Amino acid sequence: MSNFIKNKIQILDVFQNLWAKYNAIFVFLILFAILAMLTDGRFASYNNITTILRNASTIGLIAVGMTFVIIAGGIDLSSGPVMATAGLALVFLQGGGTPLPLAMLVCIIVATSFGLINGIIITKAKVPPFIVTLAIGIIARSVTMYIGRGATITGDNTDTVFKTIGNGSILTIPIPFIILMVVATILTVLLVKTKFGTFVFAVGCNEVAAKYSGIKVDNIKILTYVIAGICVGLAGIIEASRMVAVSTTTTGSYYEFDAITAVLVGGTSLMGGQGTIYGSVIGAIILFFVNNIMIHLHISTYLTGAIKGAVIMIAVLLQTRNRN
Amino acid sequence: MPNLLEMENISKSFSGVKVLHNVDLDLKRGEVLALCGENGAGKSTLMKILAAVYKSDEGIICLEGEEAPLNIHTFDMQNKGVSMIHQEFNLINHLSVAQNIFLTREPLKRTGLIDFKKMNRDAKELLISLGQHNISPTASLSSLKTAQQQMVEIAKAISFNVKVLIMDEPTSMLTMKETEILFDLIRELAKKGIGVIYISHRLKEIKEVCDRVVILRDGKFITNQNVSDITEQEIANYMVGREVSISQATDFSGDANDIVLEVRHVSDLLLKDVNFKVARGEILGFSGLVGSGRSELMEFIFGIRKPKSGEVYLNKKLVTNKTPDSAILRGIGFITEDRQRSGILNRRNIRENINLIGQIKHKGFINISSKQKYNAAKMIKQLNIKCTAQTQTVNTLSGGNQQKIVLAKWLLVDSDILILDEPTRGIDVGSREEIYNIIHELSAAGKTIIIVSSDLTEVLSICQRVIVMHEGTIKTELTRDDRTEESIMSYATNTRQTQEGKA
Repeated sequence: MSNFIKNKIQILDVFQNLWAKYNAIFVFLILFAILAMLTDGRFASYNNITTILRNASTIGLIAVGMTFVIIAGGIDLSSGPVMATAGLALVFLQGGGTPLPLAMLVCIIVATSFGLINGIIITKAKVPPFIVTLAIGIIARSVTMYIGRGATITGDNTDTVFKTIGNGSILTIPIPFIILMVVATILTVLLVKTKFGTFVFAVGCNEVAAKYSGIKVDNIKILTYVIAGICVGLAGIIEASRMVAVSTTTTGSYYEFDAITAVLVGGTSLMGGQGTIYGSVIGAIILFFVNNIMIHLHISTYLTGAIKGAVIMIAVLLQTRNRN
Repeated sequence: MPNLLEMENISKSFSGVKVLHNVDLDLKRGEVLALCGENGAGKSTLMKILAAVYKSDEGIICLEGEEAPLNIHTFDMQNKGVSMIHQEFNLINHLSVAQNIFLTREPLKRTGLIDFKKMNRDAKELLISLGQHNISPTASLSSLKTAQQQMVEIAKAISFNVKVLIMDEPTSMLTMKETEILFDLIRELAKKGIGVIYISHRLKEIKEVCDRVVILRDGKFITNQNVSDITEQEIANYMVGREVSISQATDFSGDANDIVLEVRHVSDLLLKDVNFKVARGEILGFSGLVGSGRSELMEFIFGIRKPKSGEVYLNKKLVTNKTPDSAILRGIGFITEDRQRSGILNRRNIRENINLIGQIKHKGFINISSKQKYNAAKMIKQLNIKCTAQTQTVNTLSGGNQQKIVLAKWLLVDSDILILDEPTRGIDVGSREEIYNIIHELSAAGKTIIIVSSDLTEVLSICQRVIVMHEGTIKTELTRDDRTEESIMSYATNTRQTQEGKA
């Protein structure tokens, strides 16, 4: 009898551990099942799923980069505007006849430079990341609008290769999602398997202890913003390629907040020192599931924000409960 | 008249693990009771139950013969006269002294606004009653020294009309002089009929200030004795449950001319032309008051602090350690005094913590997890770290085991020179004995050890040579024959010459 109870407790423990580790996935599966039922299968159709994955990829890319920044104890509020700036550079060059690979490289370099600037100001001038990245974001958006005269800038619409990046599929899997998964995998290896990754966790967990352990704290922090910048650049390529156009006013607007939401929903602690890359990918997908659900259930899109807010609260609530 | 406090049959479990087994505790008016036990013995849990931070699973608490309700709130318990001063103060840095003392109980004017005049006046009275004429009630808390902040905590406790005052390791952050002032105050409070429960790992203090001692081990009541009837050794033995050997300083047996580290002419705002040498395998102690520049000197050697001038010679070669990693690569290790702040990554696991320094030295980029597992297992075994798995997060370990984790990460990289700043602060007798043994072993293996400590007993019982600092200068160097607690103290407070003058 007591053995039976013991086993039962052990099984419960196993469940609790699984829940603690993979709660985002569980929430995701439950949502999925309910939705499939509510929409008579329309929601669960293969086409709909791939659409969600394609749409979630841009935010997903920004989120995986942001994960590094947040684990190291920082935050990046400049991602959305910087993505617009980088995307603008891309469509300008591509529309003007610059070879596509070079244009894409410039896009990534622009975004990475912003990351580098963020990192350097944060570490060398010792200004809180919240303020630095907010200011850099405002500047980036303003400069973008100035260069583009507040208009939507279009590239060369006849370039099918460029269009394929955002709109194509390989073996029916959307290319943006493939890019996201490749990047997420590389970043996971970087975070979990290398000493750089360990140092990122160490800096986010206890900066002073990291310093006394011989870690070059400033360099680690700068590198996290550089990684975030690279990811923003990749997101810019995909976003620009979808329509072969960049709106200087609306492209990327609020993307930084969606990305932060994705990171939090994915189980990364805003306190730093804890988190996973794949969690953020799932977080991004969950956000777009919610969007998609609203459409299928004919709920006003004005309410999307309300649902997103609720999702953040529930996700963080679950994590705090797990921690206690 | 009933006892001031009776705790009967207290039991408590955390997630199925029983941490207190039917513990009894009583306290009379005007008594100073020491509560002793190793880390994890259940002292803090018992006291948190008394202060109504935790609820007990079983048992009753009677204050002056009146049973306290089970679900009483901490605030109501304070109003009933039970106050606890935690090791980490519960004060708010940005508020004034008076605001801190009367937090949530601010006196109000008729208009509903805070009556700051009355608040500051009352606070001033309280502080004067504690003999603290120097603390201004309007000063911001962050401008006070640790000892003064503690006085504010005590003033706050007394403002609740305290009957039972619990103090958890009150002297761990204080200098010797401040400790003396605190002891006088405790005796004063006891005279007024307040019962004090005193938790400390420093057995000497217990002999000095307490009347009675209650010892817990593994959550069980072990013994209750008058302090006058028990020796420090006996208290230690009861706590650990076996004979504890108290460390004895050994003689330095190496070659005194084999200088590993020499520091010349270090000066900055605090330090004034500091010079010293240490030989291979030597255990050198740095004594002095807090603020005498000991930690700053070590931070300079380790590359954290840049002084105006000063040179470090390693193996007779001039080196400059601009950052800690260059010091680490040259074989210097630094175990800082505050492990929570600068020692451990408390939300990361044991394996990661132990391997952290090793990764600075490791040339490759990719972590080799099999090697890390092996290293962690080796150190856990070598240092007898009590844990369930390598993947356990460090914040779930007791203080002593956390300190061993810090020690482990430095031992793993096999540093030639190991600087230990307050290596056993807040650590129980059993773990302390183990740490001293490790230090002796390292010294025997040719490693040079520098110990900075405010604990005179520690300095005397482990260091082969002692340097005493006062206000940024080296006052003297004492070898094994000519040092006593009194001699160190007189140099540390710079009263030596005046004493000699009188004699």
